[in-house]
Amino acid sequence: MEDLGPGSGVSLFRKPPSPPPGSVPPSWTPPGSPPDPRIIDRLRRLSFHGSGSALLGIHIVNVLLTLLTLGVYYCWAKTRVRRYLFSETRFEGDRFAYHGTGKELLLGFFRAFLVFLVPIIVLSIVRDQLDVDPVIKTGAAFFISVLFLIFIPVAMVGSRRYRLTRTSWRGIRFSFRGHARDFIVIFMKGYFLTGLTFGLYYPFYLTRRQGFMVSKSYFGNHHFDFDGNGWELFRGFVLSLLLTLPTLGICWIWYLARKRRFFWDHTGYGAARFRSTVTGGALLALYLVNALLLICTIGIAWPWVRVRNIHFAFRYLSLEGPLDLESIQQQAQFASATGEGLAGFLDTGFDLG
Amino acid sequence: MSDGSTPPGRRSTVQYEWQAYYLDGQTAIRHPATVRLMREGLEVQTSGGWTRFWPYTELRQTQGFYEGEEVRLERGSDLSEALLIPEVGFLASLRDIAPQLGRRFHDPAIRRHRVRLTILAAVAVVGIAGALYLWGIPALASLVAPRVPVVWEERLGRSAMDYLAPRELICEDPRRQKALDAILARLAATSRSPYTFRLFVVNRPDVNALAAPGGYLVVFRGLLERTRSPEELAGVLAHEMQHVMQRHTTQAVIQHTSTGLLLAALTGDMTGPLAYGLQSARVLGQLQYSRRAESRADEEGLRMLEAARVDPAGMIRFFDTLVKEDRQPANLLRYLSTHPNPIDRIEHLKALASKAPRTPVPLLPDVDWDDVKKICAALGPARPSR
Repeated sequence: MEDLGPGSGVSLFRKPPSPPPGSVPPSWTPPGSPPDPRIIDRLRRLSFHGSGSALLGIHIVNVLLTLLTLGVYYCWAKTRVRRYLFSETRFEGDRFAYHGTGKELLLGFFRAFLVFLVPIIVLSIVRDQLDVDPVIKTGAAFFISVLFLIFIPVAMVGSRRYRLTRTSWRGIRFSFRGHARDFIVIFMKGYFLTGLTFGLYYPFYLTRRQGFMVSKSYFGNHHFDFDGNGWELFRGFVLSLLLTLPTLGICWIWYLARKRRFFWDHTGYGAARFRSTVTGGALLALYLVNALLLICTIGIAWPWVRVRNIHFAFRYLSLEGPLDLESIQQQAQFASATGEGLAGFLDTGFDLG
Repeated sequence: MSDGSTPPGRRSTVQYEWQAYYLDGQTAIRHPATVRLMREGLEVQTSGGWTRFWPYTELRQTQGFYEGEEVRLERGSDLSEALLIPEVGFLASLRDIAPQLGRRFHDPAIRRHRVRLTILAAVAVVGIAGALYLWGIPALASLVAPRVPVVWEERLGRSAMDYLAPRELICEDPRRQKALDAILARLAATSRSPYTFRLFVVNRPDVNALAAPGGYLVVFRGLLERTRSPEELAGVLAHEMQHVMQRHTTQAVIQHTSTGLLLAALTGDMTGPLAYGLQSARVLGQLQYSRRAESRADEEGLRMLEAARVDPAGMIRFFDTLVKEDRQPANLLRYLSTHPNPIDRIEHLKALASKAPRTPVPLLPDVDWDDVKKICAALGPARPSR
């Protein structure tokens, strides 16, 4: 559940067909009379209404401005694309909104650069210097790995925090309230145990990571929850490992579909549960057509591919069960892209991707 | 300030009242509302019964810039209240009623020009990207390369060597290496260059030689075995040393990295193309120098040979051999294929060499060259590169 944002729909160049099965008209009054009329219990889907051509237009202007500003505009370009994609995504008749700004992205990038990349560069110069004591060199190499091992989880949490706090639906913000230090522990443990078990721990790490990322995510004052058990993913993982050679690696696409289903099926919000019906075959077809489109158009079809991916993701995803919208209250925990101090930095929202 | 009357030339009917939804920023409930357009602001009335006045100056539009998007107006700081107006005609009426203040909001009329402007932007992108690729990046590279500190070049070269000359493929034989190093030393002594040259023979069958930044030279076993005298190898080495001294290698790496950044700008994705740029050390083997850089390396290499009093005929003879061999099918003469125009090149070198006045001093007179060429013998047969 990397993207809480964007839509549904089908094929290239064609407008998505009118509401996919199970979607609801943009009316906010509940049909019928369930026990509590405020709690609506039915199948809900995300839908996407953007077009590849509009995305291409945005992208072309972005490229022009990025070239003219020698790359500085990159952050604003990213923001414009996100804003478009989020604005075109609907749930229950209402669009999502993206509130991030290019300036925030740029500042976040600078902070990450100062806190992590500058020390890494300095240390690697020390490491590669010929006339330095070998002990110091080994120490420098060690600290570089440590910095990387800390930087990766901090960046993952930071970007999730940033994106969620900058996303809203019906005026209610999402937020992320996990602490980076907790995730550093999960990440380190995953890193070393995966190495010690020759990769077998990896699905358990993925499950723990997903659990952390999901259960610390909030919409308004309610958090999402995750109840997956790593063993469920483990079976598919081992099977794919064994089948890698006979299937030339194609079996991993089925693993990917399985992973997506596993992650979503164990995610809930209040009494409502997500459900994913994605299959390996569908995923394979998506990848093949995408690759074909990109190759035939030397990459120009990229915006349509992106739209296709969003439609695909939403087509196989639904939210089932009662959703009590009236009990949701705004309660944003602000993450800033310009937090203070190193300690503050660890729990700052910033986004490098 | 406008007086609210309909400006001439625009449509005659102005709609003052619009259906909308109101989000209070506190709950996830969407309240139906009626919005009335006034000269200074909006009057918002919800179905709940309250009415508020929102001055235009306090509003910002965050959605409704594209076909099919509803108009979203927000008021307040971070946790703002919002109005959603499904019909985009609202914006046109707003501009009619408040022409001055209405400029704060998106004008749907400009959508007609969008396609044209986007096509213009696309043309500009192609033009700029093409110009950068053909002229901008080469110019930048030749400007920056001479200013790169030698220590940086050495670091870059060393990291490239891990790939170009993996340890298990380096032919190590101290006695024979000494003979090769003697050739190198004689050439290097002709100039006061800041580089320390190091020569590695690699156990590959390719007829190829290349240079990495900072003075690292790689000669493949296939090439070494084709030489018939130390003078022939000296010609190849002088050429490659010139690539280092003229900083052609560094220039090529900068060019390759900048191309990666250009690609990042074009695709809007930093991660993929950056990796492309960072792996430039690996592709150093396949980097192409410009034709000008090649003939410069030829000329300066020849001058270097003369200054070292090495017979330049060796260099010319070796290139000649390669051209002749190149006519035979199915060989691995990569060295020539990365160096354009072999026949012109040889003619040019012959013309330059004929002016050489000094009598050459033979290289390695007491050494059996055929024995030196066996430097890789201990490693077994050459291993073809993938």
